Amino acid sequence: MPMKFMPSDDTPKPGMPSGALAMLILRVLRSGPLHGYAIAQKIHVLSSEVLAVEEGSLYPALQKILLKGWVSAEWGISETNRKVRFYRLTPAGQKQLEAELSDYDRVTHAIQAVLRTA
Amino acid sequence: MHELLRRFQFFLTRSRRARELADEIDFHREMADQSGKSRAGFGNELRLREQAREAWGWTWIDRLGQDLSYATRTLRRSPGFSATAILVLAVGIGVNITAFSLFNMMVLQYIPVRDAASIIRLQRRSPDASTNTISYASMKFYGDHARTLSAVMGTLGVGGTHLENDPQSVATEYATENYFTELGTQPMLGRMFDVSRDGGADATPVAVVSYSFWQKRFGADPNLVGKVIHVNQKPVMVIGVLPEAFVALGRQHPDLWLPIRQIGYFIEGNTTISDTASNGGGVEMWGRLAPGVTAKVAEQELKSLTNELREQHPKDIWDNEYIRSDPGGHDQMMQPDMLIAMSAIGGLVFLILAVACANLGGLLLARGVMREHEISIRVAIGAGRGRIFRQLFTESLLLSTLGSVVGLALGYVTLRIVMAIGNAPLWMTATPDWRVIVFTLGIGFVAAALFGLAPAMQMARQRQRRTLVRQILLGAQIAASCLLLIVAGLLVRAAQHALYAYPGFGYEQVVAVELGLSDHGYKAADARGVMEQFRNRALALPGVKSVSFSSMQPLGHNRVATISNTINGHLVRIFPFTVSPEFFSTMDVPLMRGRNFHPGEEHAVIISDSLARKQWPGEDPIGKQDASGSASGDIVVGVVANARLMDMQDGDTVELYHAAKEADMADLVVLVKTAGAPDGLTPTLRSIAQGLDPKLFPEVRLLKAEFTHETQSAGNIARIISLLGLVAVSLAALGILGLVAYSVSQRTKEIAIRLALGANPVQVLAAILRQFSWPVVVGMVVGIAATAALSQILRRILYGVSNLDPASYAGAIAVLLLICLVAGVLPARRALKLDIARALHQE
Repeated sequence: MPMKFMPSDDTPKPGMPSGALAMLILRVLRSGPLHGYAIAQKIHVLSSEVLAVEEGSLYPALQKILLKGWVSAEWGISETNRKVRFYRLTPAGQKQLEAELSDYDRVTHAIQAVLRTA
Repeated sequence: MHELLRRFQFFLTRSRRARELADEIDFHREMADQSGKSRAGFGNELRLREQAREAWGWTWIDRLGQDLSYATRTLRRSPGFSATAILVLAVGIGVNITAFSLFNMMVLQYIPVRDAASIIRLQRRSPDASTNTISYASMKFYGDHARTLSAVMGTLGVGGTHLENDPQSVATEYATENYFTELGTQPMLGRMFDVSRDGGADATPVAVVSYSFWQKRFGADPNLVGKVIHVNQKPVMVIGVLPEAFVALGRQHPDLWLPIRQIGYFIEGNTTISDTASNGGGVEMWGRLAPGVTAKVAEQELKSLTNELREQHPKDIWDNEYIRSDPGGHDQMMQPDMLIAMSAIGGLVFLILAVACANLGGLLLARGVMREHEISIRVAIGAGRGRIFRQLFTESLLLSTLGSVVGLALGYVTLRIVMAIGNAPLWMTATPDWRVIVFTLGIGFVAAALFGLAPAMQMARQRQRRTLVRQILLGAQIAASCLLLIVAGLLVRAAQHALYAYPGFGYEQVVAVELGLSDHGYKAADARGVMEQFRNRALALPGVKSVSFSSMQPLGHNRVATISNTINGHLVRIFPFTVSPEFFSTMDVPLMRGRNFHPGEEHAVIISDSLARKQWPGEDPIGKQDASGSASGDIVVGVVANARLMDMQDGDTVELYHAAKEADMADLVVLVKTAGAPDGLTPTLRSIAQGLDPKLFPEVRLLKAEFTHETQSAGNIARIISLLGLVAVSLAALGILGLVAYSVSQRTKEIAIRLALGANPVQVLAAILRQFSWPVVVGMVVGIAATAALSQILRRILYGVSNLDPASYAGAIAVLLLICLVAGVLPARRALKLDIARALHQE
């Protein structure tokens, strides 16, 4: 059963920590600009099809990131020849990603350390 | 910060962004379709878009817009209800705005002088003494040495100044020569005082004339500047006329301003400039803080300067004396007893708002029943409780905003009227400033919370127990109205008492003459000679019955001394008089026990009956020592009846009399009692004084005029409070009227059935009114209890009326009951005129 980022009843409350989806989006954008659908696909594929990003959580998250200034949006042409918005990582986003990754590393190491020794 | 900017940008471009987002989601779906995935879990597209947009954080504005337009439509649909609600609110809010505006003008706003914020009033204080004046020499010392003050100003008001041969004396203020320069006063004509030209001891005598005096006395003569006038028969040149809008510090508005260094020229023998002690005379001191200095820092420096002064004049400085500073750039200085009065008024006007809100809350609840249908539909199609609550509260906010706007207009009009009646200074305007606007917004929100929260909560929950809430709201209205009515009743009774009850002394036939001997530097022995000669000549006049001396003029406001002591656990204000033995016969204050003074008798005091009763209840006070307020060793030789000589309205004051000695003579006031009307005596008495010493310009006052003046203000206060009480009662009556009418309309069918089955109409009426009777009773009980508890504060202005005065309470309750009954029976009667057949066929 793939783990889903699902919006809850009222406000988007993903099953994972709320920052996690934003971190994943920023991470997949590091290698270059992508449109929304491609972002979802890439996360899906890279996670060996464990993580499925629903549009209901993807687009609110993208709007939030856009508002924070971590990504910028520009218009481009999709592989199906349609005008679509591409998201590009900004320097601020790059910084944010690094901060989040190091935080994440620290926490996972800590958790693993506990799991191994306790 | 960037994020905020972006957020705002998103808001401005939100419709374009919404389109783009929709487009993007479409694309996502197309792609998903192509890849052949199932559409399961895609959900409602509209909802998806909405959720994505919520990230921008602007949905609340959209919702608010929706709620507002919905609320507007709802209010417009029932114009009768809306108009009533807005009016009720406007009255409640308007009264509060008026009260706050007055407070704002008097206490918060700065008077229009240069840099009013840095002006401070400076007064001598010590733990056990205080005075509002200081010797000129001390003021000069502080002015020369204080580095935290950029300037020190002094003023000295003197009564009984004579201009040419005018029969009326003119109000005169002596000011330090830097006064007008410091206040930044621009002359209307000529120039103002100038330190370099008018500051010397031998400078040419000059005078500045107030605008109104220039108009009245000099017929707005454009060439007045440069002319010589005679003040106390001394020639002096007018150098300038003040502008019409000039405002002096401390609410002074004299006709004539003279430089303080020249006071000895105008008042021969005056020692103000050379005195180092400030007994009796002395100037009011004001300072201007140096840039960047706080009042606290200045106080500290002044304290060390006071210690230096003590070394120079050990006798003239009190133990632990310090200089207290207060903000001086306002119309009124905030004093503790003024604060109490203002909070009391604030409390009363807020009660009116509370009545208005409780009233409106009841109306809203009643309307809520009619809207039950609408709300249940909205709940059925998926509106959450929070959403319904928000919507209803938005309606309340809209109502309170409209009420505030009308209230602001109402307050403006009231304020204009009040200012016109009260002769407000020219610089004050009724136009609301930012403080009033902020207050209005605040009070509007408070009102909305008061009247809107409970009904909105009840309706959103779709609860059925609204009757209880309505009854509580009604009870609250009754309680608040009850309090206001009783207070109004108490004040009216006190005012009447002050007007019509005997004050304990005769004032109709008494004239007070202030010779001002100490102003002219008289020594005790000379003063005694003049006083005795004056008495003998006055006694020789036809129609004069008796002449006596007193340190305080009855009903006067100059040089009033009070001692506050605790006697047997109660705080009592004592007025200590120094009088000649004839005082009691002149003022018609009967001796009840013991004997009168011998002339100049030492170590003897006479006390008032109330002081005797307070200090020695049930005992004979004659021969006792240490009457409260007297020096140790003084023996009580007599008891006289109570007389409200100094404060007409405070029932808690008592009097203490000492015999006048030679040393007191220069400061005493002469009281002359005539057999008939004393009106024509003024010029005769004045000429007697000038016959004794041509330097003297005595101030002559008729006590009956002072008495009328005194009672007028008491009457005014009573009238204002009665008006407030009436407003509250009318609001409460309106509330009852509405509730009963509503309840009748709801129960039409039940009433019709009862009548059809042959019920007695009176019983039916009683059944309708029963549900309102207990809130009225409980409200009244609470109101009465609250008043009884709080009215202690009022004691000082309730002379002759107990704060638990049964007549006032009974009167207020009767008025309230009557109004409640009328307001209840009027709409209820409609039920009895029902067309029974029609009512039963409905529905």
